[in-house]
Amino acid sequence: MNALLTVTGLVKSFPGVRAVDGANLDVQEGEVHCLLGQNGAGKSTLIKVLSGAHKPDAGEISWRGSPVSFASPLAALRAGLATIYQELDLVDGLTVAENIFLGHEHSALGFSRRRAAAEAATALLSRLGHGEISPTRLVGSMSAAGKQIVSLARALSHNARLIVMDEPSAVLDSGEVDNLFRVIAQLTAQGVAIIYISHRLDEIRVVGDRVTVLKDGKTVASGLPAKSTPTADLVRLMTGRDTEYAFPARPAGQHTGRELLTVRDISRPGEFTGVSFTVHAGEIVGLAGLVGSGRSEIVETVYGARKPAAGQILVDGRRLRPGSVPAAVRAGMGLCPEERKSQGLLLYEAVYRNVSVSSLARYSRGGFVARSRELADVAKAIGDLDVRPSDPRRAVRTLSGGNQQKVVLARWLLRDCRLLILDEPTRGVDVGARGELYRLIRELAGSGVGVLLVSSEIPEVLGLADRVLVVRAGRLLHDGPAAQLTETAVLDMVMEGAAA
Amino acid sequence: MTGSRAAATPRRRFLTGGAAAGAGALLAACTSNTTSSSNSAAQTKAVSNNDKPGKPVTIGFSAPQADHGWIAAISKNAAAQAKQYSDVTFQPVAATNDVATQISSIKTLITKGVDAIVVLPFDGKALTPAGLQAMNAGIPVINLDRVFDTPRAYRTWIGGNNYGMGLAAGEYIGNTLKQQGKTSPVIAEVAGIDNLQLTQDRSRGFRDALSAFGYTVSIRQAAQFTVESGQNVMSNILQAKSHIDAVWNHDDDQGIGVLAAINQAHRSEFFMVGGAGSANMMRMIKADNTVVKCTVTYPPTMASSAISLARLISQGKGMADLTEREVPTFIMLNSATVTKANVDKYLPLGFES
Amino acid sequence: MTERTDDAPAAQGLGRRPAREGLQAPAAGRLGLRLPASVAGRLWELRSLSLVGVLVLLAIAGVVTSGGNFLSVSNVLNILVSSSIIGVVTVGMTFVIIGGGIDLSVGGLVALASVWATTLSSQQYGAWAMVVCALLVGMGAGLVNGLLIAYGRLVPFIVTLAMMVASRGLAEAMSGKKTQLVTVQSINNIATTNVFGIPLLVIIFAAVVLVGWIVLNRTTFGRRTFAVGGNTEAARLAGIDVRRHTALLYVLSGLCCGIAAIMIISLTTTGSSTHGDLYELDAIAAVIIGGTLLTGGKGTLVGSILGALVFTTVTNIFVLNNLASEVQNIAKGLIIVAAVLLQRRGTT
Repeated sequence: MNALLTVTGLVKSFPGVRAVDGANLDVQEGEVHCLLGQNGAGKSTLIKVLSGAHKPDAGEISWRGSPVSFASPLAALRAGLATIYQELDLVDGLTVAENIFLGHEHSALGFSRRRAAAEAATALLSRLGHGEISPTRLVGSMSAAGKQIVSLARALSHNARLIVMDEPSAVLDSGEVDNLFRVIAQLTAQGVAIIYISHRLDEIRVVGDRVTVLKDGKTVASGLPAKSTPTADLVRLMTGRDTEYAFPARPAGQHTGRELLTVRDISRPGEFTGVSFTVHAGEIVGLAGLVGSGRSEIVETVYGARKPAAGQILVDGRRLRPGSVPAAVRAGMGLCPEERKSQGLLLYEAVYRNVSVSSLARYSRGGFVARSRELADVAKAIGDLDVRPSDPRRAVRTLSGGNQQKVVLARWLLRDCRLLILDEPTRGVDVGARGELYRLIRELAGSGVGVLLVSSEIPEVLGLADRVLVVRAGRLLHDGPAAQLTETAVLDMVMEGAAA
Repeated sequence: MTGSRAAATPRRRFLTGGAAAGAGALLAACTSNTTSSSNSAAQTKAVSNNDKPGKPVTIGFSAPQADHGWIAAISKNAAAQAKQYSDVTFQPVAATNDVATQISSIKTLITKGVDAIVVLPFDGKALTPAGLQAMNAGIPVINLDRVFDTPRAYRTWIGGNNYGMGLAAGEYIGNTLKQQGKTSPVIAEVAGIDNLQLTQDRSRGFRDALSAFGYTVSIRQAAQFTVESGQNVMSNILQAKSHIDAVWNHDDDQGIGVLAAINQAHRSEFFMVGGAGSANMMRMIKADNTVVKCTVTYPPTMASSAISLARLISQGKGMADLTEREVPTFIMLNSATVTKANVDKYLPLGFES
Repeated sequence: MTERTDDAPAAQGLGRRPAREGLQAPAAGRLGLRLPASVAGRLWELRSLSLVGVLVLLAIAGVVTSGGNFLSVSNVLNILVSSSIIGVVTVGMTFVIIGGGIDLSVGGLVALASVWATTLSSQQYGAWAMVVCALLVGMGAGLVNGLLIAYGRLVPFIVTLAMMVASRGLAEAMSGKKTQLVTVQSINNIATTNVFGIPLLVIIFAAVVLVGWIVLNRTTFGRRTFAVGGNTEAARLAGIDVRRHTALLYVLSGLCCGIAAIMIISLTTTGSSTHGDLYELDAIAAVIIGGTLLTGGKGTLVGSILGALVFTTVTNIFVLNNLASEVQNIAKGLIIVAAVLLQRRGTT
């Protein structure tokens, strides 16, 4: 095996922050090289420098034996280095083939040659073991997993020698992750190298060859064997702590809180049918299910973002106006949505404006915002949640994923929200910050808030929730205490539908 | 001002044409904005035997849609003039600002076999084939104002004189300033839409007339034939020149805005000459309590004359006071200088802007 | 967050928790973290500042080419009067664009409101009736825009384009394409009245800007405007009634058009379907060179007003120097590009 990419002493600063501060990395042909590190450790900046999106301040990048400096992502792509970001950069309105060849279309005299492109696309998809995907399908109609395959095919269409994958498993459920690993194995067998970024150590064990760990912008360990390095060592290198997931213990006594949310037999055609459940004050209810099982649709309907075709939603025994978010919010609900950036945050704005946006009526004095009171309350809320940095006037887009999630949480804390709906609260949040979020969620429940938690990660649902609901194909299969369930049992239900 | 102004803003018309028609009905229900002062349309005085009823003739008439006072006056004058003659059947076709529609409506008139056609083309160049077709069918065409490409397309052209308008304004200003003994007066000119040939012609005439007195235009700025642009341009001109001796404004419609700017700046050291000859400006000249002392005409009465000419031509008559037995082929109207002295004569001919 | 008990394992108390090692950044880094926000803030001001720079350059050009004439009190007031009407329209436009929309109908609404308020029957009822009429027409048409966009889920560009066409058409039909002279003297007097030497039109303009600034920056309505324009989905999920707010933005823009209509009636002593010609382009250009994002969520009112002032100042300088209109148009185009480029340099 030959060195494909060597990075030595890379430094990249932004005004006031040294995002990468002496990173080293070497990637061999045909290997899966895992890049570990907490959010803010510099992984994203490092791969952006590699892909030509940022220029390094110092250090050297050597690509296939010679020093390079990619002027743009396109230059990197042409040299054979492709990056697949968490937020997939595909065009929803174009077909699979059009997306794969975007920027280097098959054309003759300016006319696109659709058939040639379709054939070439199918050939590339077959290399990934997915020849069954139709090249004429609209990308917007595909699942996240399918889109990922299209992104990979696009990388291959540029004859990529190295593909950087930024948290590819975050949007996938377990079956899809297994499939992704099969695809990765096919690619490495063809000599393509992968830089694999993930927070999930179990995945790294399965798919990785070697591991490089980043902390505070520096490489703290490199070339570790992925399969045999003890988990404890990796976690300690990343965080200086000893455990991967730290779920807070459930309170000893049983929940005696009153019934807060009652969902009675709600349905939406094509999404879910006859769903009924309850959430009590102080209780964490987990909703487990695959992507596409209807779980996000169910919680969005409860929140009023979708209108149920049938059924009732009651808070404190009072019927909610169906399909009205303001009504749900007035009744004391709050939602931390699945897509933090596109559904949760006002990215242009400061932290305090993001936090207070749902509570403006409270700070309104005849329409005017009582700013000093607002700022003081927000400062307290983000202090309680330990948002870092703790400056409420800071632009929210400069915060790490975990801290952005806390900002959305703080929004509902500020409102004294009584029923919190968390859709994938730890997606894109690093290991250390996850433990902290778990603890926060439990503390919220301890203070009497009812929590409805949706997650693709079954261990998370089992570890955090008091009671677990299992959804499959739009139907509620199971409703019972989390303590009585195992990961295997839940997996059986979500995959096979074997009711417990 | 001429109907050419309409051609200058095709975009606006394209966008607004349909909506206006639809809105009309609604509007009638909710507002009452009818002016009681329907000014009597101008008529050509009868002076000879020509007036006696002759062979009955049918005269077709086609003009663009009225989008401002001048064009409105054209259609009104034509209809009123036709009513004067017992031997004339007036046959107007629907007014339109679409070249194709106007062509087809003229073809309809040809098919009907009218005795003469009076046409103010939306676009002279584009309507030339329609004029030719009528002439070839033996129907005399009286071409109003916007001239066809070739004399073969009309029997007689009658229209205004843009150069002459500038000339008349320049002569009035030159004479007045000369009488006041001014040697290097400050003369301002508020032009209309600058990329129109008619605006260029008017300004050329104005310059030529002034140069005969040894005067030049001190400041010339173009407005848009709208009240708002007139106000805006004049307010800036008043800043540029702290003393002005005379102002010529090309168009009485935008002149309302020009006057507003003058009043708002409390300026009155100069006199102002208007253009086109709106009834409003003439009333001010008559009242003599504003800076407006004169206006030079571009008379929409030409439509009345055109109907008379059409009648004469189709009855085979000549113009009584001329020696020739036939109507001339080219009649360019004089731009009259209307002042307090003669305003009463012209006031009935002024159009409501 | 309410009181917590101390018996739960994680009950160290959210606020009192010791900092985790992982995020215990080196002191330099933590100091640095404060910088970007404040630097960004300062650069944000720079955007407006660079427009002030453009104005200063224009003023220098004005003084050099036309001497003391340009800086005379009466000329400066003249520039402000000339800016006042489009300035008021620009205030409404800024709200709409920050809120993620666009309003192409402003010119048409000014025309319609000016015509409706000056029909013979409207004038019979006197000045106040005319004012109320103009405001109601502007707000009513704005409400139609808003309802179609927010509740009819139509694209703002299309709805307001249709309104632009229809309102001007209605204005033409009502006026018979004639210029309606105003005989109500108290309306005409607005444009000739000075208060402590300052024209009333300029005072109205300043008042609208001030109220607009306060609403945008100090009220919950302004906050929601930024939220709705910045991320509609996030605003909706945060519990904001996005549709009602969107509709209100267009009503606000219509109200500004109504105010502008009264001002133009007074300035020209007429109501006319030709009033407000191309206001939509001037207002949008002013908002954009003022630094507001065309996609919404970010912008300043001060920038928009400066943008409007830049345009009228250019026109003024050109007339003072008696330059032909074609030169004016070329220069205006160049100035738009230059102003935007200058701002970009100021921010990156």
